[in-house]
Formats: sequence, C-alpha cells, structure tokens
Amino acid sequence: MAIVTEYYLLISAALFCIGLYGILTRENALLFLMSVELMLNAANINLVAFSFYWGNLNGQVFSLFTMALAAAEVAIGIGIILVLYRNFEGIDVTEAATMRW
Amino acid sequence: MTSRPRLATEVNYVNGIAALALFAVLAYVFVTAGLEPPRGIGEGSVVASIGFAMFDMLELVPDTHGNTEGFLVAFLTIAVVLDAALDGAVMLARREDEASPETATDGGRPVNADADTDAAPADAENASGVDTGSEGGDA
Repeated sequence: MAIVTEYYLLISAALFCIGLYGILTRENALLFLMSVELMLNAANINLVAFSFYWGNLNGQVFSLFTMALAAAEVAIGIGIILVLYRNFEGIDVTEAATMRW
Repeated sequence: MTSRPRLATEVNYVNGIAALALFAVLAYVFVTAGLEPPRGIGEGSVVASIGFAMFDMLELVPDTHGNTEGFLVAFLTIAVVLDAALDGAVMLARREDEASPETATDGGRPVNADADTDAAPADAENASGVDTGSEGGDA
C-alpha cells in the first residue's frame, strides 16, 4: 500500500509556507537564503511525489538538477552576502536599500 | 554577552497569518483534487535508471520505469550554470584592492586592521622584557 500523493503535497506545501514565512519575517540575509532553500526543497518533494505518481523517473532526475541549481544559487548568494558584509558591516537586508552606495 | 537565539516576541503577525492562509488554500486544493492512487516505480534499480536517463542512454532503462525521458541537454546546461556560479562566486568574493590568497578565509575583515592590533602587544612584551609564557600575537 503506497502512501497517497496528497500527503506528499501537504508536506511540500507546509515546507513552502515555512520558507515563505521566513522570507517575509527575517532580516538576516543568511536566513533569507535558508528560507529560499526550504521553498526549493518543497518543489523537489513535489517533483519526486509526482514521479512516483506517474510511475516514471522524470521527476526524480529533474529534482537532481534542481538541487544543482540550488547549489549554484547559494554560491552566488553567499558571494552577495560577503559583499554586503564588506560594504555595510552587517548582513541585514533592510540596511541595503539602494542599488549603489 | 553572547548572542544566542532568543524567542522573538515583537513580531508582525500578519506575515504568519498570510503564510498560514496560503497553506490552508493549498491544502484545500490538494485534498479536494481527487488524485488517483500512485502507479509507483516498478522493479529494477532506480539509481541506475536515473544515471541512464541523465546521459540519454534510454535503451538501458527497464520498461518497468515508465516512459522516462533523456536529460542530457539539461545535464550540460546545469554543468555550465554551475561553472558560471563558481566564477561568479569567486568574482564576488575577490577584493577590489589587491587580494592575497591567505586572507580568503578571514570573513572579509580589512587586511591591515588585525595585523596592527596583533603586532602591538607582542612588541610591547618584548620591549619590557617580561616573559608571560604566551605568544599573545598570531592567534
């Protein structure tokens, strides 16, 4: 007896909403990145769940690519945070309100 | 004074309510979607089939794994994206003034600031001739 797809979708929606709440609430750029990762992983759960639902492996392969994309995004994000720290002596995203300083 | 995490009491509840409302809408849609029972993945190594699908070797994927498609173009695209991300991260992390490799792990502090503060106490100890038994300097 396989687990029904709705349960996967519910946990994915919960993870997505936790990530969304983090983005709406936090002011620390690192926690922003973590929240974005939560939302990306919610999408990954959906991909794997529907891969199981349809009985093929497309979603599982694609979720691997999504993880690689998340790694690329984190690499750039941490570089941006480093620049933010150098220029504002902190990683509060509300400090950097303009594109130039 | 440490900076351990504390429970935030002065928060804006609208954000939490918005996230909860979104979850409620999503949960309602998912539960009432009327999805069929999942077909499931058949016999055979899933990991091997993922590897074959990633490199377009679809003739090696067993029929029990459904109509799995090839992902070679996506694989190459992601490889290029990862390479670009590595270059971008290095470009962002490099200082505009002349950077040396040993300062790459200092968290972005100014190069000269800690060198001056570390050098001063060590010189003072040597000048006064007091041996405290500690280095004091290059920590």
